[in-house]
Amino acid sequence: MRIVTLGKARDAAAASDFRQQLAYGSLLLPLALIAISLLLGLYEIRVETVAKALLSLVVPQAAEGISSTELTLILRIRLPRVLSAALIGAALASTGAAFQGIFKNPLVDSNLLGVTSGAGFGAALALLLGGTALMVQGFAFGFGLLAVMVAYAGSRLYSSAPLIVLTLMGILIGSFFTSLTALTKYVADPLNTLPAITFWLLGGLTGVTWSSLPLLALITLSGSAFMWAVRWRLNILSLGDAEALALGMNPTRLKLLIILCATLMTAAAVAVGGVIGWIGLVIPHAARLLVGTDHKRLVPMSLALGASFLLVIDNISRTLLPAEVPLGILTGLVGVPILIVLLRRSQTVW
Amino acid sequence: MRRLVCLLLTALIALSVNLSLSMAQSAAFSIQAPAELQPALSALYKARYGAAPTFVEADGDLIATNDRALRPSGMAGVPPHFLPDAFFVLARPNAEAEAFVAYAVSPDGQAALIESGFLPKSVTVTDQAGNKVEVAQPVRRVITPYSIATYLVYGTGSADRLVAGGYLGARSPVGAARMSAIDERFPTLSGYTLNQREINIEQVAQLAPDVIFTSARTAWLDTVRELNIPVVLFQGESPELLKESMLIVGQLLGPNALAHAKAWGDYYDSIFAQVVERTRDITARPSVLFVGESPLRVISGEMYQTDLIAAAGGRSASEGLTGYWNDVNLEQVALWNPDVIVIAPYGNVTPQTFAESPEWAIIKAVQDGKVYKMPSWVAPWDTPVPDSVLGVIWLAQKLFPERVTLDCKREALYFFKVFYNHALPEDEIAAVCGS
Repeated sequence: MRIVTLGKARDAAAASDFRQQLAYGSLLLPLALIAISLLLGLYEIRVETVAKALLSLVVPQAAEGISSTELTLILRIRLPRVLSAALIGAALASTGAAFQGIFKNPLVDSNLLGVTSGAGFGAALALLLGGTALMVQGFAFGFGLLAVMVAYAGSRLYSSAPLIVLTLMGILIGSFFTSLTALTKYVADPLNTLPAITFWLLGGLTGVTWSSLPLLALITLSGSAFMWAVRWRLNILSLGDAEALALGMNPTRLKLLIILCATLMTAAAVAVGGVIGWIGLVIPHAARLLVGTDHKRLVPMSLALGASFLLVIDNISRTLLPAEVPLGILTGLVGVPILIVLLRRSQTVW
Repeated sequence: MRRLVCLLLTALIALSVNLSLSMAQSAAFSIQAPAELQPALSALYKARYGAAPTFVEADGDLIATNDRALRPSGMAGVPPHFLPDAFFVLARPNAEAEAFVAYAVSPDGQAALIESGFLPKSVTVTDQAGNKVEVAQPVRRVITPYSIATYLVYGTGSADRLVAGGYLGARSPVGAARMSAIDERFPTLSGYTLNQREINIEQVAQLAPDVIFTSARTAWLDTVRELNIPVVLFQGESPELLKESMLIVGQLLGPNALAHAKAWGDYYDSIFAQVVERTRDITARPSVLFVGESPLRVISGEMYQTDLIAAAGGRSASEGLTGYWNDVNLEQVALWNPDVIVIAPYGNVTPQTFAESPEWAIIKAVQDGKVYKMPSWVAPWDTPVPDSVLGVIWLAQKLFPERVTLDCKREALYFFKVFYNHALPEDEIAAVCGS
């Protein structure tokens, strides 16, 4: 809705317009980065080869003349990995932004209710029992959901201050599962199982193939679509429950739906990529610095920035050294200095 | 008159009984030994029977010698040593002689020799972390929190001195059953809280060990040093270091253990020499990728398996990596394009995992069907334990089937008989080796 303004207000409106264009335009960034990421890798593949391989998905004849090794590497190794990185980054960043809005707390990410801690324990347990990669993903997803269900059920016992109680239960359940994970690491065989658990907990997309992608894509895309649809309602939720009720919304139901959606997205993301920290916390802040706190612009920007950031990090992780650098290490090392630079350039954060 | 005759007769009978008794005591078996060994043998015999032994020039029941030419070979293994380079050979079955031999190599026999000055009262070794450790002899009680060091003790034939230890590879039901078959004391020995990370210090004090064998990376060394128990540190991440660690254990546990340690070193050298001989003219070594608990987790160049692959005549594809286990992605494996993939004995990755995956079909080893899972009996054959010589044999046989004639099953039967004094079930080891 355009309001006719004069003087300083007109500049503010122009700035707001620019931010809106930036927020929606930024969605092109992950797509561009996906294309660039397909060209990067330890195995040298020429640009034309990559282009022809991608074309062969539509037109099979285009794949003539490409060696099967290169074709497999592009279509079965790089493509699913790059897509997973984009999806996971988008999922973690948007759920972080949503939680920061619902809980009116700039210091939280989607692990507030314990989903990442629960998923970490599930994966550690599966590795301790000697399970396959599929079992590890399944356990991680299941225990992530379990953690949040327990936290939510616990908070329903107190109706006086639901938000605070929910936060508290989430923290308690999260630390409970963290302790359980520590127990798993303690009893694990130190020569083989313990390093496997540690590597998994640091986050990585090493063995991602097409088999991991369908569920992740389904959950992330539908979850992001839901977040997109309710993004302006997040503005109202962040005003407080009383205001939201007065404006005709049902804040309890909406919060429940958003928490459910965010939990599913985070659980799926962690099940595939391990524990990747900092994205849910830092990316929404970076997005706020660029487009402001209006969730109508913040949610698209978080999605785009989260996907792009994790794509860049994953590219570094898989091309820097012959061995993979865990993602959880790089997100912190790279993300925190970037945020400090962004903070220095801006006056307001929240 | 009749009383006198009765007295005389009784005296005669008593005398003859006495004589025959004493003759029986010292004539139970005869020892044939060169002059230089006779004082030590006398000291041993006296400590055991309280009398002097019967030495003969030839055709003795028990032969003691330091002539290496008289050493038995093959499955008879390492003869019992009572002094460095001096050993026993039983000329004919004789229960008393066998008991004496067992006594001679036991800590009690060692104590007798120490008392008479034939063996030192204490031994000082330089362990593999560079510390000089003095250990009083004889060592009767050993604990090995380092689960690899336990097998060093077994490999030197001194498992009777073990009172507690960690056992690598014996957590699974199969491994535990096999280890129980080798050593019936295994359930008791493995039932303590001992490992590299943490130790129950009061349990250790109660066990009252004479020496502790552990790894250089152990966390609790300071606490245990308070108890004034000698701690010997091991770090055997290469075949040379493994030979050294066997010799350290041998030096500390008596002449018999030392003989076994040297015999193991000789056995390893002979296997290595055989492989070198048979693959002398091959310039392009096959590139081997060694994976662990997941298909994309590979060894680094600093791990023991790299040297194991080199000893078997191959070259590790991932020798450029550093540290411990590394995660890599398939692009890196495609760059290496290994000729052979070897899967570690632990974990649940199988050659099936590689064959079924369309992504791995681009790798030469998978295309040629050369993906193998290394076998193991109890301790994994890719870790720095004495059993790893069998890992070298198995891998050499897989890499060069037409050139290397070492047979995994035959060598495993020999190895376990000689170094563990255990007869492996033939069909089981054939099935294990056949993979």
